[in-house]
Amino acid sequence: MAHVSVQNVTKVFGEDVVALDDVSFDVEDGEFLVLLGPSGAGKSTLLRLLNGLTTPTEGRIAIGDREVTGSRHDIAMVFQMHYLVEGMSAYRNALTGALGRTDTVQSALNWYHQDDKEVALEALETVGLLDFATQRAGSMSGGQQQRVGIARALTQAPQVLLADEPVASLDPKAAEDVMGYMKQAADDRDLTTLVSLHQVNIAREFGERFIGLRDGEVVFDGDKDDLTMEEVDRIYYGDGGADEAGLGIQQLAES
Amino acid sequence: MATESLTAVRERLDRRQRIVRILSVLGILGVLVATAAMVTYLGFTLADIVRQLPHWLNFVGAFLKPDFVDLTDFTQNNGVGGLRAIVTTLTNPGTIVASIADAPVGSGSVLIPAAITTLIIGFSGTVIGFPLALLFGILGSERVTPFPFNFIFRGTMSSIRAVPALVWILVFIPLAGISPVSAVLAIATDTIGNLGRLFTDELEEIDEGPIEAIQSTGANRPQTVIYGMLSQVSNSFIAWTLYILEINTRIAISLGVVGAGGIGMYISLRLQRVSADQYARAAAGIIVVIIIVITVEMLSSRLRARLRPGEEQSQGFIDSLMNLADGDKWLGTGVDPDEK
Repeated sequence: MAHVSVQNVTKVFGEDVVALDDVSFDVEDGEFLVLLGPSGAGKSTLLRLLNGLTTPTEGRIAIGDREVTGSRHDIAMVFQMHYLVEGMSAYRNALTGALGRTDTVQSALNWYHQDDKEVALEALETVGLLDFATQRAGSMSGGQQQRVGIARALTQAPQVLLADEPVASLDPKAAEDVMGYMKQAADDRDLTTLVSLHQVNIAREFGERFIGLRDGEVVFDGDKDDLTMEEVDRIYYGDGGADEAGLGIQQLAES
Repeated sequence: MATESLTAVRERLDRRQRIVRILSVLGILGVLVATAAMVTYLGFTLADIVRQLPHWLNFVGAFLKPDFVDLTDFTQNNGVGGLRAIVTTLTNPGTIVASIADAPVGSGSVLIPAAITTLIIGFSGTVIGFPLALLFGILGSERVTPFPFNFIFRGTMSSIRAVPALVWILVFIPLAGISPVSAVLAIATDTIGNLGRLFTDELEEIDEGPIEAIQSTGANRPQTVIYGMLSQVSNSFIAWTLYILEINTRIAISLGVVGAGGIGMYISLRLQRVSADQYARAAAGIIVVIIIVITVEMLSSRLRARLRPGEEQSQGFIDSLMNLADGDKWLGTGVDPDEK
């Protein structure tokens, strides 16, 4: 739905911890992009910058025609630990996605617009949880909670969907389901989507384009055909590869 | 070499044990001597106690035959006493309603209206204190108000907590007289300090994740506070309010003893007259107090158990009975957030 532009972005924490170093790339409308990279590569920092939860030290990020300067209701985020309010129902959690376009007093009284209520129900239907709308989020399984997290993001009616390791804490079956629902929702709504993933097999199954980050720098940018095991090896272990780190490519693939 | 070493260790352990024993005995003796000096300073002598013992036993004996003659206006006016008053009242429930309707508020002369007055004082004080407790509790949290400004609210709550409800009522007597109204104001003030502090502590422990998630939807600051923070603790807030209601009911009884009306006042008035007949009536009042406190405590703890499954165990009759010995709950002092 919207073009994403990341131009010469650097993010430094404290005095000298460089999380991202002069990162630049563009994402086309409706593209499904997967961010790969080892822990500490800067994937989460990049997604938080795109969401406006933090600001770059240098550089510029724009989504659509507007520069990202803070959180906006048209940029949605799905978190690894879903971060739902466990005491609220799945439906009310999904509805919080409409807060950005709801008046403060109305939202305090839980009076959402009828249209937003419909959007939240449709979002729950998209992730296959309409029958669980009234169930307390805290009583749901990890996979279901993550699907509610996606429903909350979809209720924002976003232009861009961001997901920070959304399946890292799920078993393989639940991970497959969650990614399936997310990809379907992104395709149906023509959403520009950026997902960071650790599982290379899942990344290859759902991704269209891949960016590899290592030590805060972009070390790979290509499609599924370009993402050979050697490239994966290079993203995760550097130019020396897994062999230098004492791992064979076969082991890496299995891991 | 090894045998010598073992002997040395054994001697060291024995020496250490002897020192610990001597220090323990000296410590216990020290505490006993200090306590004897302190109670002597307070005018406590064993001879006085022994001299008063027969009188006290008569007093306690009167409690073994509680007289419920003051249960309702009907039993009082018709001289239906002892346990028979309970049966008469239960078989004529209309007398309960008539008694509540007719009794002058705060007089503490009839048991059932006095008990109702106590419950109303505890409940009203909690409800009136709740909004300010919520406001101060939220603003006292560093998550909402940046340090050090949150300490303005924390400090206010700590100051309120430092003063027991029994002292707060003295502050309000010039405003509303020695009446149930002063008691309600005292309990409301006490609630701001105690409940507010519990709210603040609860907010300090919430997860950062849902706050960030709500923020990421484009929600503004008040929405983030309501949905990211308060929604995480709403059940706990209700549970703590029920807990404070339970404590406030006990405080309402204590405030009655100093003349603010209700069941405490009923007991106090009876005990001021030295006669076995009055003591028997006071005994009936104490039984009503036990029933009120245990009922409120059991209801509160069961509701809390439903609100926070796994955190708060439902309290049974025996636990409620044992809690009657908790002095802090009667005086409105030292609600310890660490009790959580």
